[in-house]
Amino acid sequence: MLIGILFALLAGSLVGLQNIFNSKVSVHTGSWTTTTLVLGLGFVASFLIGLLVEGKNLFALHNMEPWYWVSGLIGVGVVTCIVQGINYLGATFAISISLASQLAFALLWDSFGWLGLEKVPFTSQQLIGVMVVVAGVLVFKLGGKKHISA
Amino acid sequence: MKGIIFAILGGAFITLQSVANARISLDIGTWQTATITQLTGFIAAFLILLVIKDRNFKNLRQVQPLYLIGGTFGAIVVFSSIMAIQQIGVTLTVAVLLIAQLFLTFIIDRKGWFGMDKQNMSLSQILGITMMVVGVVILSL
Repeated sequence: MLIGILFALLAGSLVGLQNIFNSKVSVHTGSWTTTTLVLGLGFVASFLIGLLVEGKNLFALHNMEPWYWVSGLIGVGVVTCIVQGINYLGATFAISISLASQLAFALLWDSFGWLGLEKVPFTSQQLIGVMVVVAGVLVFKLGGKKHISA
Repeated sequence: MKGIIFAILGGAFITLQSVANARISLDIGTWQTATITQLTGFIAAFLILLVIKDRNFKNLRQVQPLYLIGGTFGAIVVFSSIMAIQQIGVTLTVAVLLIAQLFLTFIIDRKGWFGMDKQNMSLSQILGITMMVVGVVILSL
């Protein structure tokens, strides 16, 4: 369990850092140029690390299903929706909703085991846990700007 | 209302992306998954750029070089989130990931790193992070 949590912490930290870097790029170039650059570099980095780790195996795609090829399109959906959400609602509100939505859908996914992932039985404890995290996200993002001196 | 639907869908797609990656990696391997999904995403984003004629590659020169490499983190992000989902499931992975993401952004804002406007700590931010951690503890009991 600990190793899984460490991986999630690593992923989250890098997402946070990446969001900051990307916002610096986006100011000058707009969201689609930024997205193209980010996904292009993500591809190159994954390809190089994959070659290093897997060697020729990187090209051995066993049990490849056709939809795997287009799964990257989900990322385009992410950018489109978030950009539109921010246009309508402003960054803070739109991001807060999308963070809460991520968690709600995560719980749905575990509970139903969609796409053949291992089903994690739904319990009231899980629901309470998710609701407390969502409440924390909303307090963090939307809470008053009253600063304490530190 | 439209904005709220977009924001909810955006969040749903983010989770869907992590889940799809975890699923695909079971068949073809983790690095293969990271490579293919980001390749197709890149191609699609590039085609959209061509269509909307919003190409600003020249402006990339105005960006401080460090910030241009953020995309490379994507390799580790995809790899790590696949490993996490396989170990602890989607809910706990997303919850812990969000805490790390918000906490790091919070620290960077507070220290004013990377040219961010230095922000003071607010009570609601501390309360919010505490609540998120409590929620994750409840989830992982």
